[in-house]
Order: sequence, then structure tokens, then C-alpha cells
Amino acid sequence: VPERVLIVDDHKGFRQLARRLAEEVGFDVVGEAATAADALLEERRLRPDIVLLDIQLPDLDGFAVASALSSVSAAPIVVLVSTRDASDYGPRIHRCGAIGFITKAELSSASLAALLRG
Amino acid sequence: MTAVQRRAFQTIVLVVPALVAFVELQHFWLPTFDRPAIIALDDLLPGSAFAVAGLIAWSRRPRNPVGVLMICIGFGLLIGIPGLRGGSSPLADTLDLVFGGGWTLVLFVIGFLWAVALLHLLLVFPGGLFVSRLDRALVGLLYLAVPLGGLIPAFVTFNSFQGTTGIDAYYNAAGLSAATAFVVYGLCLVLGSGLIIRRWVLAGPARRRSMSPVMWSLIPIWLAFMPSQLLPIVANGPIATLWQQFVAASPLFLVVLPAGFLIAMLRSDYAMSSVGDLVVKLSAGLLPEQLQPALAKTLRDPSLEVVYWLPTLGWFADLDGKPVSLPAADSLRAVTVLGDPANPVAALVYDSSLRQEAHLVNTAAAAVRLVLENARLQVQLRAQLDEVQQSRARLVEAADSERRRVERDLHDGAQQQLVTLLLSLQLAKTEALQRSDPNTALMLDGSIESLRQALGELRTLARGLHPTILAEAGLVPAIRSLAERCPIRVEVIGELDRIEPRLETALYFVVAEAITNAVKHSRGQRICVELRRRSGWATVDVSDDGVGGADRSRGSGLVGLSDRVAAVGGRLNVQSNQLHGTSLHAEVPCA
Repeated sequence: VPERVLIVDDHKGFRQLARRLAEEVGFDVVGEAATAADALLEERRLRPDIVLLDIQLPDLDGFAVASALSSVSAAPIVVLVSTRDASDYGPRIHRCGAIGFITKAELSSASLAALLRG
Repeated sequence: MTAVQRRAFQTIVLVVPALVAFVELQHFWLPTFDRPAIIALDDLLPGSAFAVAGLIAWSRRPRNPVGVLMICIGFGLLIGIPGLRGGSSPLADTLDLVFGGGWTLVLFVIGFLWAVALLHLLLVFPGGLFVSRLDRALVGLLYLAVPLGGLIPAFVTFNSFQGTTGIDAYYNAAGLSAATAFVVYGLCLVLGSGLIIRRWVLAGPARRRSMSPVMWSLIPIWLAFMPSQLLPIVANGPIATLWQQFVAASPLFLVVLPAGFLIAMLRSDYAMSSVGDLVVKLSAGLLPEQLQPALAKTLRDPSLEVVYWLPTLGWFADLDGKPVSLPAADSLRAVTVLGDPANPVAALVYDSSLRQEAHLVNTAAAAVRLVLENARLQVQLRAQLDEVQQSRARLVEAADSERRRVERDLHDGAQQQLVTLLLSLQLAKTEALQRSDPNTALMLDGSIESLRQALGELRTLARGLHPTILAEAGLVPAIRSLAERCPIRVEVIGELDRIEPRLETALYFVVAEAITNAVKHSRGQRICVELRRRSGWATVDVSDDGVGGADRSRGSGLVGLSDRVAAVGGRLNVQSNQLHGTSLHAEVPCA
């Protein structure tokens, strides 16, 4: 059974690309969300295994969403993505409950698969 | 009044008591009159004391009616008191002998009038003018009513002054008694005391100080008048006897009163002489910050404030350059604006009771005029410096928030678009490879590589504008992140909790610039960054083991940093030499 993925980002173009990259390596993208509020609703509705979460969202930031997601029962795996580097954010990346971080420029089928399965 | 006229008046004032004294003492010495010495003293001393005190007061303050009023009271006492004794006075007898009868009655009426004049004096002291219409009306009424009340019954009974040779005859005919005099005096005393005590209660500290000698001198008179009726109830035996002697000597206590008035007047002279002290201090050199205490001491008003007009800013300010608004004219504070009202130098703000001593205030203000000008320049400089500091802080803050905005725009716009483009190119490359089109894939690879470099440069640019991590995680993580990207080894020591963003930003840019300079110029092997917080200051020290040569006067980098640190109230210190490399110390105040 392929793992089910929810993509959260306020840029439609990025969501579409991320969907193609994820589907290429065999993930099942079950939904997309553009805001933190939508992300939390969709997570409850779809119960995905993985959430690909942008840090810069129009309402809350990705760290807050990740913290909220890590406290639900049967919490999904959260992967943070951002245009910025991990070094731009400091220790919050490791404290918010996410398992990892990918810079958008480095996002590829291979890096995604490596982070999730490796 | 010319000097000659004044001299003539002064002579008269002195001659009259002398004449009266001569007459009185003639009778005292002549064997036909059997009068105890104490009574002669009673008759002479209070009036003479008032006349002499009045003369001194009048010569010191020619335009103030207080002196003349005191002289009148003195005359009234000299003439009137003997009449009150119930018998004929030596003076009246003499006048009767020379000018015909009836003088006892005239002197008797004058004997009432001096009490009204005393009430008048109490109400107008020290300014010489009535403070309220009520006071003026009351005194005016008494001036009219007392002689009328005394003289009309005399006319009715005797049709003329002729024939009323003895005061006892007058008393009997008019149905009056010596107690009437006591009642009139008592009335004036109670009214006057009530009004003056009320004024005392309402007065400010400076006004009270000027009133206090008079208040003290009134006390024995109150004691002498008040309890004589209560005496049998409250005391008997030796105390009562003592008390009766005290009351019997009560006219003598009137000597204390002119002394009280005179002391109050001379104290005001003393105040003028303290202006002299002020001038001496000024000639010795008075600093602007010593001006307000010196003036407060001179004018005896601890609440006095000196505020300075700042023409370039358009408001009054205190010595620190902080804006001050002048109190309303009708409040408990009074204001004297110094200099041309259209373009003042300064203003004195003081207790409203000092309005009575406008001359003193103006004299003191004139004395300090030059120091005031200097102080005003200093205040203006401080206020302008304050303004400049604030505007510099605002400029730096505005620049910082602009950098933050540009960084965010880059991130949300260009970076985002380019990243999406990069990912699309990568997908295209994957598809080209799947379609076995290596040429296209190779071309795409080249584009991807250029785009990646462009993105990297854009990220560096954005980070240089305003590092996200500074707001996200604070100064220490931001510096650690800086250290990780640095081509030479950077050691970060110490901890610093989160402080105000503007302070974090200032210190961050100091460290970033110092590291950049060290990498570019020092030729050193390692850099050490140390962060500390102690007693209200956050400090950073950046040192390298390079060849030194950093100079604040060369290159705008260090000057810019120094400005940035100063804008948040901090200090920057750079030491640089060949032996020990460059070390830079920055500190900013944080609560």
C-alpha cells in the first residue's frame, strides 16, 4: 500500500511540482492545503501518513502546524520545506516535531525518498 | 514726594511723640498728679513704638502705605490710650487748657480709630493693598461707623463739644461705659484675627514665611484679650493673680506688634540682600545646574523652577532639555517670563505667594540674566542632541524594517518563482532522460546549475539584508549560523537570552561585519566571538589572531557600525595591532 501524502504550501505552482515529484517515487498524494488552518482540517479529514509542510504560510508558521500535528493521535510524519536554508531557522526545526527538513531547491524524488525511507 | 518733603514729614513724625511724651511726663513729674510710672509707660510705649517702626518701614518702602498706616496707628495710640482709662488724660487736659473743652471726647474717638487702623494694617500687610473687596468694605465701614457711633451721641446730648470736660460725664450721658471700648477693640481683634488666620491657612510657604513675625507678635495680644472673662472659671489663687497682672500690662504688649511688622519688613530687606549674595556667587562663576537651587534659595521658594525657551524647537524645556508646559496664570503657581515676551530667554515658575514680592523676583532674575543665556544655550544643545539621537534611532529602525521588508519580498517573490522554475527544469531533465534525449538533458543540466548558483547568491543577498534566524531564534543561533558558513574557524562562547530586536540587530551586524573584515583582511586562522550580559549591558567581543590594521578612520565599515551601536545608546571600541590582531568590543544597554 503506497504511503499517503498531504502537501501544504501557499504556492500552487510548488504544490503541483511537489505532487509530481512525490507521485514519481510512488507516494499517493491525497490532498493539498494552502494555509495552516486548511492543513489542520485536511489532516483530520484525510489522515495522511506524511505531511510535506512549508514553513512560510500566510496564517501560522510551519513550526506551529508541525507542533499541532505531532500532538494528535496516530500523528503523521512531518517533513518541513522552505525556500530558505535550515541554517536560516536554527534550533526550531528540530524542536517542532518534524522528522526532517528539505530546502525547496534540493527537493527531488531522490531526496524525498531518502529522507522518508532512509 | 521730594527729599525735602520727606525729611520734613519724618521730623514731624518724630516730634509729635516727643511732644506727647513731654506733656505726659510733665504730668507724671508734677506733684499734683499722682500716677504710677507703669501707666505713663503704657501710654507712651506702644504708640511711640508704632510711630518709629512705621517711620523705618516708610523710609524703606516709600510707595507702600504700610509705613504711613503704622505711623497713624502710633499717633492714635499716643492720643487714644490715656482716654480709655476712664479719667481725663494729661494730653486732653493740656489741650482743654489751651484750646477750650471737649478734647477728651475727640481723643476718645481717636482711641477707637487706631484699632480700626490696626485691623486695616493686618489686612493689607505686606503688600499695602486690600486683597479682597470684602476686606476693603469691612474696614471702610468701621472707619465710618466708629467715629459716628462715638460722636453723634455726644452731639445729641450736649449739642456741642463744649462742656464735656470729663470722659466720665460723657459715658454717663451717652449710656456708654469703658466696656464699650473693650467691645470695639475685641470686635476688631476677632475680625482681624479671623481673617488673618484664614489667610495664613490658605497661604503658600513663601507667603507664610513673610507673615510669620506678625503672627507671632499677635499671640500675646490674643492671650491678653481673650480669657479675661473666663479667668474666674479656669483659674484662681496665684495663677489668677499673675494672669491679672499680665492682662493689666496688655497695652504694653502692643509694643511687640510693631516689632513684628518691622521684622517682617526687614526680612524682606534681608531677601534683597540675599540677591546680593546671589550676585557674589555669580561673579565667582555659577554653573547652569546651580542656577535653579541658587534662585530658589534667594527667593526662599524651594518649589521654584527655571525653564528655558528654545526658539528653534518652539517650547520651554527644563535643564535636561525635556519639554515643560507653563502652568495656567490663575493656578497656585506664578510665572515670570524673562526677556522680550515675543522672544523670551527663560521663565521662572514659582509659588503664587511670591507675587507679593515681584520686585525681588525681577531683581534676582535680572542678576542671573547672563547665566540664564548660557544655560539656555546648554539646554538648547541638550534638547537638540536628544532630538538628533531620537531621529538617528528612528532612521536606523526605519532602515532595518526596510531591509526586513526587502528580504521578505525576495523570499516570497523571486526566490519562490526561481525555486519552482528549478524544480520544473529538473522534472524536464528526468523526462528528457526517459525519452533518451541526452542532448536536451545536458542543456537542462547547465541551466539547472546556473539557476542553482543564482538562487544561492540570492539567498546570500537576502541573508545579508536581514537574517531570518535573528528574528526566529535570536542572536546566539544567528551568530552560530554565521560561524558555520564562515571559511575560517569561528568559536562562539557565552550565552545571551533574547533581548530587544533592535539591540539584537545592532549586535548581529557588528559581529557579521567584524567576521567579514577578519576573513578579508586579517590573514588570521581563527576568530573568537564572546557574548555576555552583565549589569544592564549586553556585550559582544570579536577577536582574531590576524595582523591587525583595522582603523576606524579608514573605511566606512567600522564608522557605520559605530553609528549603528550609538543609535541604540551603545558603545563600540576597536583595538588593532600586529601582535594581538584585531579585537572589537560592542556593548548596548538592555534592561
